[in-house]
Amino acid sequence: MLEIKNLVAGYGKVRVLNEISISVPAGQLVTLIGSNGAGKTTTLRAVSGMIKPEGGEILLNGRNIAGLASHDITRLGMAHSPEGRKVFSTLSVTDNLLLGAYPRLTKMRPKGDVDADLERMFDLFPRLRERREQLAGTLSGGEQQMLAMARALMLQPEVLLLDEPSMGLAPRLVEEVFATIKRLKAEKITMLLVEQFAAAALEVADYGYVMENGRLAGQGPADKLKNDPAVRAAYLGTGS
Amino acid sequence: MQNFLQILVSGISVGMIYGVIAFGYQLTFATSKTLNFGQGEALTLGALVGFTTVNFLIGMSLGTFWAYILALPLVFAFGLVQGSIVELLGVRQATKIKSEAGWIMATIALGIIFKNIAENVWGKDPLKFPSPVSEAPLTIGGVNVRPMEIIIVVGALAMMLAVELFNRRSIYGKAVVATSNDRDAAGLMGINTSRVITFSYALSSLSAALAGVLIAPITLTGANMGAALGLKAFAVAIIGGLSSGLGVVVGGLILGITESLTGFYFDTGYKDVPGLILLLLVLSFKPAGLFGKAAIKKV
Ligand SMILES: Nc1ncnc2c1ncn2[C@@H]1O[C@H](COP(=O)(O)OP(=O)(O)OP(=O)(O)O)[C@@H](O)[C@H]1O
Ligand SMILES: [Mg+2]
Repeated sequence: MLEIKNLVAGYGKVRVLNEISISVPAGQLVTLIGSNGAGKTTTLRAVSGMIKPEGGEILLNGRNIAGLASHDITRLGMAHSPEGRKVFSTLSVTDNLLLGAYPRLTKMRPKGDVDADLERMFDLFPRLRERREQLAGTLSGGEQQMLAMARALMLQPEVLLLDEPSMGLAPRLVEEVFATIKRLKAEKITMLLVEQFAAAALEVADYGYVMENGRLAGQGPADKLKNDPAVRAAYLGTGS
Repeated sequence: MQNFLQILVSGISVGMIYGVIAFGYQLTFATSKTLNFGQGEALTLGALVGFTTVNFLIGMSLGTFWAYILALPLVFAFGLVQGSIVELLGVRQATKIKSEAGWIMATIALGIIFKNIAENVWGKDPLKFPSPVSEAPLTIGGVNVRPMEIIIVVGALAMMLAVELFNRRSIYGKAVVATSNDRDAAGLMGINTSRVITFSYALSSLSAALAGVLIAPITLTGANMGAALGLKAFAVAIIGGLSSGLGVVVGGLILGITESLTGFYFDTGYKDVPGLILLLLVLSFKPAGLFGKAAIKKV
């Protein structure tokens, strides 16, 4: 499980996050919603070590990982599908997926059956199977998004961070992505999901946090938040 | 015509040397967007370490050929260590303090130090590197080819092919390519990207050291042998494109051949001019190098 306590982080002298506390219990799907620039991506970056937190604790299965380098955090079992996909454009789809399993292939995490997981990813995202030899840079935006998710899953993570997996996708693909997230949830994968489609995110999540200007503005079980008038007004559109 | 072919042959071997050194520039540029401006000195030291080792082994009554072959692993190991030192002591410290041009100064400074070490250990006078193969030229189709020139071409291609295979086939090689693509994302895969960058500096110096022992038998070996080679290979790296694998071979051949053509048809004194003119032209018209763009997607 993942436990974020009083996290403070930012870029250089600019402080973005103020004392954020988020808890993601094992096997649960927790979502973090909020308007543009609220600090959602910054939160995930601090958790996975892409930026150094300035204060607070980040506990992964009880161990404080705040301040560790991102490769060490990954080796401890944290996978992060980052904002903007960040696939390895000059490598093939298969190579991208294998790199997701890098700690397993280099004896830094239990190896398990990497080939079987590769097949599982191709079952989960059939489009990737068709394009397994294609260079990732030549995939469509939606395909790259699926690749980024699949690549993160190849770690067999303890905790999976997903930053706007539906960004830039056509409505049908957005549905597909959420269907996949539901399947991962059924497999009891611990997930922290950042989403712009707040309604859809609260539909699949167990618990939700609302972020505003680098602070938490609210939290609660997903079905409660979904019906909270203030949340509805601010993030879900009043009518829906 | 015969003359022309003859010139072509000598241009090719020198060109391949430029290619290997330039390949070394590419290796570090890919992962870190920085270069070792002491690459010429890495070549010098590689050649001199090779010189001492080969002579030592010959002293152990080994034949020159086997002495040369057995010396190679030591020269490579030396190159790896020397390159790691450049990265750890120079480049990393400069990038840590976020100094824009710090790595340039640091690698130049380390290059000067390495050259001083070479002068003190091996002296300032040129040395004769024992040739592993016969120095008598073979006559192929009326053209004289020195056996060492064949070894240069084969050795240079083998080196580049080996790195290419490593990058494509092994998970560690893929980690290097991933770091070149997107360092942040590579870190998220669990790849220690600082270590990858140190490794690419190590490999870069290894290429230079290999170039050193390849060229040493057909030229004079000494503390000053690397400076001009390093500079010209830099031109080749720019001409061929810092991000294109194939470009450096073609760039190296273009420079090597134009040099020997100028040397023969005009004046050896002007031998360096066409390459530098070519460099200036490429910089003004195709700053990404002649092959820069197209090759980025293919690597
Ligand atoms: N690299 C950076 N350097 C400086 N400031 C940054 C950087 N990245 C983000 N910020 C700032 O941090 C704040 C939070 O940004 P963040 O990307 O975390 O928001 P977000 O909630 O993910 O927004 P979005 O929904 O648009 O993705 C913003 O004000 C942004 O301008
Ligand atoms: Mg964001």
